[in-house]
Amino acid sequence: MNCQLCQKNLDAYHEGRLSPDIRNQVESHLKTCDSCKQIYNVLLLADRVVEMERNTDTDPFLVTRVMAGIASLETAGHESESGFIRMLRPVLIAASMAAAVFLGVLAGNLSRPAGNTAEIPVELALINDAVLESVDVLSIE
Amino acid sequence: MNESEIIRDILDGDREKFRLLVEKYQPLVFRTCIGFVHDKDDADDLTQEVFIQAYQSLSRFRSDSAFSTWLYRIAVNASLNSVRRSSKNFIIQRFNSLFGSEKTNDIHVSLADSDNPEDILVRKEHISWVQKALDSLPENQRTAIILSKYDDLSQKEIAAIMNISEGAVESLLQRAKRNLRGKLSAGRGKNP
Repeated sequence: MNCQLCQKNLDAYHEGRLSPDIRNQVESHLKTCDSCKQIYNVLLLADRVVEMERNTDTDPFLVTRVMAGIASLETAGHESESGFIRMLRPVLIAASMAAAVFLGVLAGNLSRPAGNTAEIPVELALINDAVLESVDVLSIE
Repeated sequence: MNESEIIRDILDGDREKFRLLVEKYQPLVFRTCIGFVHDKDDADDLTQEVFIQAYQSLSRFRSDSAFSTWLYRIAVNASLNSVRRSSKNFIIQRFNSLFGSEKTNDIHVSLADSDNPEDILVRKEHISWVQKALDSLPENQRTAIILSKYDDLSQKEIAAIMNISEGAVESLLQRAKRNLRGKLSAGRGKNP
């Protein structure tokens, strides 16, 4: 087996996917060829790196951290909601007071008679109050 | 209690039930995240972020796919976003490394076969070299190979997560392996 064929089959050899015959040929070549052996060693090293990272222990408090993170997110959500209401409260109070005044005026206008329907007597209408003496003048006298 | 009942209870306001999902899927999400970021602390933070995102968008989860598939999608997207953010901060990282404040990763040391400081240093260099090769792959190839190698998922499962055909996944994995081998072989001057 030459180097080109060996390297072509190296991945399959590394993953154990070769037939026994070709596997033996690759193994024989690797024993005699430093260049291919080096490439194979690189694959083994990559495997070891992956295995090492895979076997790294996770944080034992991760579950607690996640649950605390979720709780703080929800608290922040509630706080921002209540903060919004707190900010809006003066505006709401002013608006409700204005509405109360407006409704009061409206109600007052509704209860007032639409017009003075009683007729003014003709005698009173004909009185010329310009010629009447003022009460003030009478009281001086 | 099955998963869909748990999800229904959570959506009905029983927040504590989410704990069950986190406990079950924590290793799965963490493995995906560490495949992208290669750092335990970053992967822990990212895992937390993924679960909080999942909780916030749980109402959008449709039962036509498995919950794990949906969670993998969130984990992959969050990891890719994190990697993109990190590459934007590359200049800051370089600046930090110049002044020796670059974060050291304690998981590197555990790979060393001996306690010899020189061996440990060489091993760390090799690990960093493999991680850089993996990080230099295009996003879709990287996603496919991480889901395959770190999570041991089948091509069918990867296809469901990435929303592509199984044939496309197979092609992506082949290209990813070829690229990875090429990148690693190209730097054989410092090989193991």
